[in-house]
Amino acid sequence: MPTAAIDPPGITWLRVSPKYVTVRLVEWAVGNLIAVGLLSLSLVFVLLGWWKWPPLWLAVTVPAFLLVLALWRLTLIPRQVRAIGYAERDDDLLIRGGIFFQRVMVVPYGRMQYVDISVGPVERGLGLCTLKLHTASAGTNASIPGLPAEEGARLREQLSARGEARLAGL
Amino acid sequence: MSGDGLSSGTPDGEWLRVHPASPFVRGWVALAAIGYFFGRDTFERMLRGEPLVDDQIAGRAPWLVGGGALVLLLAVLGFIMSWYFTRYQVAEGYVRVNTGFLFRQQRQARLDRVQAIDIVQPLLARIFGLAELKFEVADAGESAVRLAYLRIDDARQLRATILARASGAGLDPDHPEAPAPEAPERRVLQVPPSRLIGSLLLSEQSVVIVLGGAASVLLSALTENRAFFLYLIPAALGLFAAYWGAFHKGYNFTAAISPDGIRLRYGLLDTQAQTLPPGRIQALKVSQPPLWRIFGWYRMQVNVAGYGAAGNNGEAASRTTLLPVGKIGDVFNMLALVLPDPGTDDPLRVFRAGLSGLDSDGGFVTTPRRGRFLAPLGWRRNGFAATDTALLMRSGRWWRTLVLVPHQRTQSMALHQGPLARRYGLADLVLHTTAGPVTPRVIQAGVDEAQALFDHQAARARAARKRQTSEHWLAQVAPIATLAAPDGTQDLDQRSPLDQPRPHSPQQEGPQRG
Repeated sequence: MPTAAIDPPGITWLRVSPKYVTVRLVEWAVGNLIAVGLLSLSLVFVLLGWWKWPPLWLAVTVPAFLLVLALWRLTLIPRQVRAIGYAERDDDLLIRGGIFFQRVMVVPYGRMQYVDISVGPVERGLGLCTLKLHTASAGTNASIPGLPAEEGARLREQLSARGEARLAGL
Repeated sequence: MSGDGLSSGTPDGEWLRVHPASPFVRGWVALAAIGYFFGRDTFERMLRGEPLVDDQIAGRAPWLVGGGALVLLLAVLGFIMSWYFTRYQVAEGYVRVNTGFLFRQQRQARLDRVQAIDIVQPLLARIFGLAELKFEVADAGESAVRLAYLRIDDARQLRATILARASGAGLDPDHPEAPAPEAPERRVLQVPPSRLIGSLLLSEQSVVIVLGGAASVLLSALTENRAFFLYLIPAALGLFAAYWGAFHKGYNFTAAISPDGIRLRYGLLDTQAQTLPPGRIQALKVSQPPLWRIFGWYRMQVNVAGYGAAGNNGEAASRTTLLPVGKIGDVFNMLALVLPDPGTDDPLRVFRAGLSGLDSDGGFVTTPRRGRFLAPLGWRRNGFAATDTALLMRSGRWWRTLVLVPHQRTQSMALHQGPLARRYGLADLVLHTTAGPVTPRVIQAGVDEAQALFDHQAARARAARKRQTSEHWLAQVAPIATLAAPDGTQDLDQRSPLDQPRPHSPQQEGPQRG
């Protein structure tokens, strides 16, 4: 499947830390292994003969399907992380992400209401953080995950300073 | 007492109280409940001609009466306390409201951040000549400031004062305490009740009802089972309530223009008067359900920061309605109010194309032909056009909609592309705006066009933001002569919009306040 980027041409993207793959792997493991494990319970019960329903083929197919799906998403994670990028332009910040479902977002500095930095437990262990921009619109779901902590702090200061200089009303 | 000071001219900073009757108007349900609870039994006995008090509890009667009186007294005392501790002040560019006696709350809102100001009159308040004032700042939650209730004249006066301060109209230096005169207004349109009823009968809802009715009749004929008609009764009641709500809210809808902005008035029993200051509308949608096409009716909805999303309650739905039903002339009138400077030479042609056009008439850029498999009906209609002041997005072959976002209101944008769209070389552009019924989205534009629009729209929004210098709408004027745009809407704005500045809004510069 062709995956030509839809980015506007002529932009040098800053990429997030490759260590962010680990964060995504942990998230993936927690989410998918629990789901697959729970669904395999019915298979175990059927094999043990405790349950008459569902039939064996169904009890095998559902967790197997989920497992395949999960593994496929696992293989995508490194590419997805590599696809995340951001670029600071003079008046706005560009954020991109996604491979199959691509998204390129532009957030003008003058529209930013505030900037959040959040750090989860895994991220803290790796020295990463997630930066989130808020505008007056709830639709602005602009976050840059997997930034090294010092880069996150720099970016936050930079964005705040630029936002202050260009602050517009609503 | 109740803001009497206002009408006689209030010096800045004086703390005022709302009308003393307001807790009773607000809490009449509680009083009625107490009265009902303690009075019903006695009243029924009286009707039956029995002694007022049952013999069995005659001995306890004083206790019961005493208890009832105590509850009533406590309620009234609570009302009086809540009235006494509710005070408001308009000073130094802020409106402040203090409430509560156990849990005190102090709110303040910046006047120049006012997004909209409403005067609401529920039926009971209307009978007593009272009104509630709602003051919205940019926050999708509850109203920033609610003052319930003021005398209607005081409420109007306070609204005029707040709007005068917010607009940046300087106060008369000789008489700083003189109340701001209410801005003159001119009626623009009124929706006749017959058209409102017709629009309700022809709405999407009615189509669903007719289909559902036909289906249930068919089903009952086939199964010879009449019982499930019983289940339709609650549905019918709900539908009646919905129709009644829409009729009640849309009744006598009147729009007027004043230097303070757009004034909307509506309501049958409860009346509401909204004021939307200039430039506060974040996005606008004109839509036409299929059946409305017979009479050429349109509906207009807006996003205003502070009004919040419609749909969670009927109130937000009615507040975000700019025009419940109107003919094309009304639509153009309202568009002229919202967007005084359309930013194009031939606005009628462009907007007409946006409302009902196909293909590239009016300068719209549509989905390329290769995308017709993804949108077999809509590909000739889905499109966008940019004027110097706003971005127009149209969509829908049957459910026609036209969405308009002023450039200086654009918050952020995103290009989206899924695998299927990539296969056909298409992309969507989503414009983010404040919460509301309008979700601006350019559907299935060609990738090149979408990228160009993404870049140019960012530039246009930037330029528009630079022109908007102040939140005071009388102050934010860029008085440079309007230049004829030779290329109007045709190209994607290759030149920088700064090269040809236009006045922010010619209509708003005219009537300065005295």
